[in-house]
Amino acid sequence: MVQNRNKLIKIFIGNIVNAVVHEILAKAIENEDIRKHYSKELKTSIDKAKSYRNKINPTNTSLPKKDADYIREKIMKKAKAELQSRIAKGYDNIDITLIESVLDNVLSKTENA
Amino acid sequence: MEIISRISKGSIMDQVYLPKNRIGFEAGSYVVLRQIQERKESSAPLFFYNVGFLEPIKIMMINEIISTISSVVENYENIIITGSFLEKGFNFNDIDVLLINDSKIDNRYLENSVDSKTGVKIHLISINSRELIMGLSTDPLYISMLSKCVSVKRFVYRAKQKINYELLDLHLLKSKIMKENFDFLTGKEKYELIRNAISIALFLERKKISKSEVDRHIEKLFGKDMETKIRENMIERKGDFLDRYQKFLKDLSLKILEGVKNGSKQK
Repeated sequence: MVQNRNKLIKIFIGNIVNAVVHEILAKAIENEDIRKHYSKELKTSIDKAKSYRNKINPTNTSLPKKDADYIREKIMKKAKAELQSRIAKGYDNIDITLIESVLDNVLSKTENA
Repeated sequence: MEIISRISKGSIMDQVYLPKNRIGFEAGSYVVLRQIQERKESSAPLFFYNVGFLEPIKIMMINEIISTISSVVENYENIIITGSFLEKGFNFNDIDVLLINDSKIDNRYLENSVDSKTGVKIHLISINSRELIMGLSTDPLYISMLSKCVSVKRFVYRAKQKINYELLDLHLLKSKIMKENFDFLTGKEKYELIRNAISIALFLERKKISKSEVDRHIEKLFGKDMETKIRENMIERKGDFLDRYQKFLKDLSLKILEGVKNGSKQK
């Protein structure tokens, strides 16, 4: 069961990283129409993450601080690495400083309490 | 008790005839007459694009969906039915419906209306024609999705394909969740992630994007009959499958990021 919980946390992290990177990349796109359109897709990533969050105990209260800190740190690192690899390839307009605020916003949508 | 009857024309007064042989509605009792909502028949022919065969019952279902949407949204530009519903057989969870409309629509309300009136679950995407044209010119998944469809009005959206590498990078992002999520994804979800990535690869090579092309590439990439096995979540050699998938994604991702790099150099 513990192994299963760790696996679920790992998958949850992966999905949140995807959502955070998605949102920051969408913000980097200059075309307003495209940006607006693809913000809808972000909802799908968050819904997926939420479905995994709902399987991680405790399901009806916030995660223990130790888990929450671990998850947050992992997401920050992974999202930063994903975005930096793109910046290295010449991707314009990516604002890494947004990671924290975007992450707060995404996590608030997946947290149960 | 309810009786549905027709008002017939009389010389002095019009009347509604009730059968003599009935239960209830005794002579002398008072009743309320109320006009029932006239059913809007979708009499106009549907337009089929690359749909070779469709079961008659599915055509009835499409007509029901169109009739329900039409009763709520009057001035829509087009209604397009797409997705696995158009494949032979009944292996679909819901029906993908694209509503092309300029005004704001409550998608959930419409989905529930269709569900409660027809018992059919639809997944409604409402967009305006500008978004549709934009999607068709920059989003391989739109092209793939609309390569096979049924529409209420003639489908005449012409869009010149434009490769926007940043956008393709964004599209590819969702296909990257396969490895970590493998054990929790349904066959349909896995197929959609692969279809998304292959559509992007075909788009980059300016090749035709259609379901049959995507399936042909799935077979080429993963082996014979793999399209069916993926859909049915019956992948036998998970490790081998994931290795091939990850390599394909890595190569595609590098190609896209190379495009981003060259694109930004040209700016």
